[in-house]
Amino acid sequence: MISEIFSDVVRIILVFILITAALTISTRTLSALVRVYSIQSFLIAILACVLWGMLQEDTLLLIAAITFAVKVILIPSFIGKIQKRINIRRDLEFNYLKPAGSIVVSLGLMLMVYVVFSRVLGNFAVVNPLFFLGAVVGVSLMLMGMLVTFSRKKTITKVMGYLSMENGVLIFGCFATELPLIVEVMILIDLIILVILTTILTVGIDSSLDEYQERLIQYHLWPSEEAKE
Amino acid sequence: MIAGFYLIIGIIAVALIMVLKTHNMKRVVLICQALANLAVSGYLMFFVTIPEATGFFRIDHLSAFEAGLSSVVFFAASLYAGGYVRRLIETGELSPRSLGLFYGGFSILMTVTSVVFFSDNLVLFWILAEITTVVSAMLVASLSARENIDAALKYIFIASTAMLFAFIGLIFLFEMSRGVSAPGTLNWSELMLISGGFDPKIALAAFFFVFIGFSAKSGIVPFHTWLPDAHSKAPSAVSAVLSGVLLNIGMYGIIRVYAIIRQVPGSEAGGLFLMAFGILTVSVGALMMLRQKNLKKLIACSSIENMGLILIGISIWTPLAIFWVMFQTLAHSLTKAELFLSAGIIHRQYKSDNPDEEDQICDAFEMQPFASFCLVAGALAIIGTPLFPVFLPKLFILLETVRFDLLTGVVILIFIAIGSFALLRFIWTVLSSRSELDLIKKPVHYPVGRGMHIALVFLLLTMIYFGISVPGWFYDYLNMIVAELGLGGAL
Repeated sequence: MISEIFSDVVRIILVFILITAALTISTRTLSALVRVYSIQSFLIAILACVLWGMLQEDTLLLIAAITFAVKVILIPSFIGKIQKRINIRRDLEFNYLKPAGSIVVSLGLMLMVYVVFSRVLGNFAVVNPLFFLGAVVGVSLMLMGMLVTFSRKKTITKVMGYLSMENGVLIFGCFATELPLIVEVMILIDLIILVILTTILTVGIDSSLDEYQERLIQYHLWPSEEAKE
Repeated sequence: MIAGFYLIIGIIAVALIMVLKTHNMKRVVLICQALANLAVSGYLMFFVTIPEATGFFRIDHLSAFEAGLSSVVFFAASLYAGGYVRRLIETGELSPRSLGLFYGGFSILMTVTSVVFFSDNLVLFWILAEITTVVSAMLVASLSARENIDAALKYIFIASTAMLFAFIGLIFLFEMSRGVSAPGTLNWSELMLISGGFDPKIALAAFFFVFIGFSAKSGIVPFHTWLPDAHSKAPSAVSAVLSGVLLNIGMYGIIRVYAIIRQVPGSEAGGLFLMAFGILTVSVGALMMLRQKNLKKLIACSSIENMGLILIGISIWTPLAIFWVMFQTLAHSLTKAELFLSAGIIHRQYKSDNPDEEDQICDAFEMQPFASFCLVAGALAIIGTPLFPVFLPKLFILLETVRFDLLTGVVILIFIAIGSFALLRFIWTVLSSRSELDLIKKPVHYPVGRGMHIALVFLLLTMIYFGISVPGWFYDYLNMIVAELGLGGAL
């Protein structure tokens, strides 16, 4: 009985996560995008807690804690700071797809993922219904993140797309329980390196070359004492 | 244990590079690190009882071979880097402030690329491979020109996005392993033992995801779009490493996971899948070569073509094919490094001040006789001229393909011929151009550092050593790799 309630809660959270993914695709202001990302990560942290309640795997609690610290607080505030400094508010330039089109495409993608996975996993899906659900939602979220990465022009929005893809992997990882914690920790390290690096490069790309070094120093991304030499 | 040596050497080297102030000292530290790594790799290949396993690391013949090959390429590249970077600083393209970044990044990349091949755990392999992407992208961006930053970002986004798919594949592998023997594992050595009990459909799905990730890292079509930009915009010492070592990391991942998947009964469809991508890659790579106007881009496109050929070899998955795939990996790495290093000298000699303009090459044999000679030698080598190492593997992979299917073999041969034609035509046009006839203003002579020439001689000699005949020890070594990949006995 209790486990049924839990699995219903899990389903509800997954639906909310999908809604945030749709928001990621359709949002035009950057600060809203960062907020959506942090809400999405928060939902994943809750999801991990609920799954812990179901399965009593302590790794899940740790995942929830790390996700909360890094993805709800650290990364959004970092990106928010950078974004204020380089002064990009809106990302209205889309490469291929306008948001409305993207949502239609992502619905199609989700359907496709569902059909393909239920065929491929076959009996495995029937035995582990939650794993199947996690796989479908996780991979759909990844594909939606990929849409954002490849349909936006500003690098910082591309980073947001990448981050939301990574959330998809994390969701899938939560359902593949017993996956060693080290896995998640390592992904997070990778994520932090990637975010920092791309942000530094973003500062470069949205300015002309001569300004580049100046800007890096100005934003304290580059040691300024060496600059005086 | 051995992996620890690389790590210790790497940490010491990075620390020294950060502490020491002058360019000359940083350069010497880098060369010493490369030399030390070369020594450790030599010790590993010839004196250590393999397989060696400690903690997360496990070394078998394949990983030792790949690590040894990377040490050779890195050694040449770090000999070359000093002179190349000095000129970059003189022309103001590399800020002296970025020196620490460049040498530190290069040193970290050298350490990580050695260790990446030793990880037993596939997730550890994944993360180290990701780190190589991030660090090498940073090196591409170290010349903080706009095109470089563009190329670096494209590289990071395509490679990392694809790598996330690989992670999904790894989770599938883990779930399957849990079904066969709890509590589940992600160590390839254990997966090799239990993969016989996997469900073929899920196994193929897992492989499909893993393949997307690692193929983007190796520049397999359709995930190749970052490769020509990143490889041609990077400083040439970095280009050599990108082409000669980093592409192998992706291929290594594909081989490892494919070896696991091929143990699953009923997974032969994976071969056709790889074959299709291989043919696509060879054809697109060759056709791209036809319309290149830039020397380094042309060489980068040739890497795409060669990766396609290696993938075709893997897809056939017979002992003979894998033997020559390994040989081709070695031959391609050495030759491509040599080509990029000599093209680097030519590029610096004729570089136009306007970034949108292509280099106007003229009187190359007078201005840079040795580099031009090496360029010709490298071009002849990469198209598969006998006495160079690419000849035999190309021939045998083609023969194996013909044995698999005649038409496929012929199609691949045609595309390889197109690629070779494109390369030779370009080199011929460029090197025979005269300043008087073509009315090009002769640039000032570009002084080439001694280390740059030594690096080229070193690579040429190594190429000839492996090209003249297959050394006996190397033959045995490759056979060992083939056997360990689950392909049964030696040739």
